[in-house]
Amino acid sequence: MSARLRAAAACLALLCACARRAAEADRLVLEHQPLFGDPAPFRALLDDFRRQNPGLRLDAEALPGGSDLARQFFLTSLDAGATEPDVLALDVVWVPEFARAGWIADLSAAFPPGGIRRDFLPAAADAVVLSGKTWAVPWYLDVGLLYYRKDLVPRAPRTYAELRDFARAAMARDPTLHGYLWQGRQYEGLSCNFFESVWGHGGAVTDRIDLDTPAARAGLDWLRETLRSGLSPPSVASASEEETRRAFQDGRAVFLRNWPYVWAEVQRDGSAVKEKVSWTTLPTASGAVGAGALGGWMLAVNAHSVHRAAAERLIAHLTSPDSAVALALAYSRNPARRAAYGDPRLVRGAPFIAALLPAAASARPRPVSPYYDLAADGLQGELSAAIVGLRPPGEALRRAQKMVDHLAQEEP
Amino acid sequence: MNPRIPRADRDRPRAAQSDGHQPRGALRGEIAQALPLIGPAVLVLVAAALVPLSMAVWLSLHRSIVVFHHVEFIGLKHYRFLLSDPRFLSAAANTLYFTAVAVATELLLALPLALLLQRSGGPFRAAVLVPWAVPTAVSAKLWAFILNPDYGLLRVGWLSSPRAALHAAILIDVWKTTPFVALLLLAGLQSIPEDVFRAARVDGAGPLRIFWRFTLPLLRPSIALAVLFRSLDAFRVFDAIYVLTEGGPGHTTETLSIYAYKTLMRSGDFGYGATLSVATFACVLLLFALIRVRR
Repeated sequence: MSARLRAAAACLALLCACARRAAEADRLVLEHQPLFGDPAPFRALLDDFRRQNPGLRLDAEALPGGSDLARQFFLTSLDAGATEPDVLALDVVWVPEFARAGWIADLSAAFPPGGIRRDFLPAAADAVVLSGKTWAVPWYLDVGLLYYRKDLVPRAPRTYAELRDFARAAMARDPTLHGYLWQGRQYEGLSCNFFESVWGHGGAVTDRIDLDTPAARAGLDWLRETLRSGLSPPSVASASEEETRRAFQDGRAVFLRNWPYVWAEVQRDGSAVKEKVSWTTLPTASGAVGAGALGGWMLAVNAHSVHRAAAERLIAHLTSPDSAVALALAYSRNPARRAAYGDPRLVRGAPFIAALLPAAASARPRPVSPYYDLAADGLQGELSAAIVGLRPPGEALRRAQKMVDHLAQEEP
Repeated sequence: MNPRIPRADRDRPRAAQSDGHQPRGALRGEIAQALPLIGPAVLVLVAAALVPLSMAVWLSLHRSIVVFHHVEFIGLKHYRFLLSDPRFLSAAANTLYFTAVAVATELLLALPLALLLQRSGGPFRAAVLVPWAVPTAVSAKLWAFILNPDYGLLRVGWLSSPRAALHAAILIDVWKTTPFVALLLLAGLQSIPEDVFRAARVDGAGPLRIFWRFTLPLLRPSIALAVLFRSLDAFRVFDAIYVLTEGGPGHTTETLSIYAYKTLMRSGDFGYGATLSVATFACVLLLFALIRVRR
């Protein structure tokens, strides 16, 4: 679509939104990611809220599944000052940016930062509490995991060297096998793999985007090395989640880094690796428990919403312990609440999710900086250039850092 | 051999034009009648094209970055930055390369296909159009499957290779739009009067000679039209490449539209994104002018 068409479409969408808003003043709108699967359990959750708030009409609208499209939708409507949606589901990395842009409301009064830190997993709390204020409430989470073939390797690897050696041994026995699959396509998944590797090489979580550091260089070197040495196939440089999941599920690889959704897929009937797969936390250089990148969706309130109190009530309802368990059981959404993992209903009904607690508790957010999304696109390009060998990793990181510093300077 | 008949053919419309000379009053009447007729179209054009375009130009003169929550007039600063932005220059080069190679290949393949279509019936013509009827995003996803090195049909690693990835995108564009170009050329072929060929055959010209001396020269307007259509379209390429590689690896398949989209919607840099859109528009306009002049 050309830029002109897009602009026209945005204008049209806004016109429609305005017309709708004027007509219905008692309407509360929730925009969220599609949950997939049977709509009934989620509808029941919403109906609970409708019963408790009879004077209000609640409309839940699912956005397109791709987070890019959701972002595009929010960027065009919120920048124009739209009062709808009232409640919006944000990708975890958008929270600081949307807060800095003045698009989402400070929720500290209804959800004090102390309570958020107490009730939710640390990475999730870090992602929504910024300089002492709560800007969103964690809804459900994703975390990077390492899947491995328990029939091909002796045990879960704790270090990168073990992962390499285990994979090499299995590849020596069966040369058609790939060693290690991860996501190297030029997109946000590559950044997740990169930050996991940086943390695995001793990097710390900061609210600044620090790329030209020894840990970052070591992290990117490791990713480049997996491709250069043949531990990972060249296809990794263009692969996103599904390509790697498919190859792993066909029995073509020893190790796979991916998100929790893969578990249900590989254990499905007809999967070539059913009963042959296990998962663990990511390896590190030192052997400590590795941190997976935190993904997932957070609920925030539109700063221009005219239903502030009702919006906060809706968020409280959707992020309650009961809702967290319901979403986990019905849609395999991993709870952001610590207590949900010990809930007997979850332990019985979704043991895999209950077992995720150590991984979810050690997850880390990507840099919690308002400039993250501004820099993410350029960073992805440099990371991609480094892993395919267009530039040495050190140079790519220097270039990326220069770009980040330049963007930060632009701030008025 | 002198293509006598075509020249006579070309002269005919000119003669008709000079005959159709009208008195002034009638012309004025016609204008009065035409205004309400073209009015709605002009209004739509202004609303759908001119207004957003002017807004984009206006926006490109501002620093407007979503996260900073601040809009400031900065004049031509973005345009100055544009000229030294290596990512813009590489995106422009990628776009030009994509357009040139894709359109040239499509023409070379479409010409024989059009000749073949001229001699074949409806079902075959319809079948050839299938790739063109498939939505681009779907066909790009399809090709990503076909090319996938692990479980694809061809099992090649083109999309991971900085050198090959853009060519994979060109391949998909060629696969998809060659039928469309062939259709345009077929229309041109069918507008050439049959008596031209008959006369040539009577004069003893062989099939090759007829092709080079008559078919190709008489097809020139259609070829020019196809080049114009396809170049303008290929220059704006977005969906196929976005689905295939998102511009990777290392920006090697990034085109102007993808760069503009990412700057606008991912980075939230509305000012520079608008600058990129305006630059793309200017390039398309330039391309249009170049092709029109060459006609």
